[in-house]
Amino acid sequence: MKVKEREIGHVVVVDLSGKITIGEGDVVLRERVHNLLDAGHKAILLNLEKVSYMDSAGIGELVACYKRAKEKEGTVKLLNPSGKVYDLLQLTKLEEVFETFRDEKEALVSF
Amino acid sequence: MQEGTVPETSIKLVIPSEVKLVDLVHTASEKMAELAGFDGDEALNVGLAVRETVINAIVHGNHQDPGLTVDVTLTAGEDALEARVRDQGPGFDPEGTADPTEHDNLLRTSGRGLLLIRAFVDDVVFERAEDRGMQVTLTKRRNQGGDPTESDS
Repeated sequence: MKVKEREIGHVVVVDLSGKITIGEGDVVLRERVHNLLDAGHKAILLNLEKVSYMDSAGIGELVACYKRAKEKEGTVKLLNPSGKVYDLLQLTKLEEVFETFRDEKEALVSF
Repeated sequence: MQEGTVPETSIKLVIPSEVKLVDLVHTASEKMAELAGFDGDEALNVGLAVRETVINAIVHGNHQDPGLTVDVTLTAGEDALEARVRDQGPGFDPEGTADPTEHDNLLRTSGRGLLLIRAFVDDVVFERAEDRGMQVTLTKRRNQGGDPTESDS
């Protein structure tokens, strides 16, 4: 999985591409989000537009990031989950947990 | 038989219990699903189901002991894909996982594998071997039901 970060105001947009799966993407995601939170960033927007799929470990890591952010009084929100990723969020009912946006500007002003 | 499909093509993979090898099985499963006549999205679903089953076998079955193997047999039939996954561990209770979609469990960071497996194939059969290990057989038939996660939009 590839990761790029953009700081827009007080929000960090994390552009993810590839797959979030066990032993690979999940580790990268964990490290990036933890580093951002440890550096004091509290508003994190994960852009999932170019994530092709996740497995249960990747889904679990998304939840772990959400919880970790809450512990640090921060927020993790999702942007543009692709077809299969959105399907998985629905199946696991995590769409009830994550605030999810289709429009980046709308997402940015929501923090 | 749909054009391009091959009746009863079977492959067997024997892997040590290392999660880095899950991608290999996933890719093989997708390719075999395509051989059985499934389209790209359905083949990905089959690959995900086999992937989760192999992760369970490695993590919960064999407890990631690299000395223990996981056997994966993939059979592309005329109208179905069958995957048999066998571990060598002391066994685990596949029904012992709480429903991850219950409100109180939504923030759990694990326990969603079986949900994904059941969502993406038609049949899941768990059989505990008499000596050691668990065999899980997944069957995905063509032209039966749709993608349970597919939205109407």
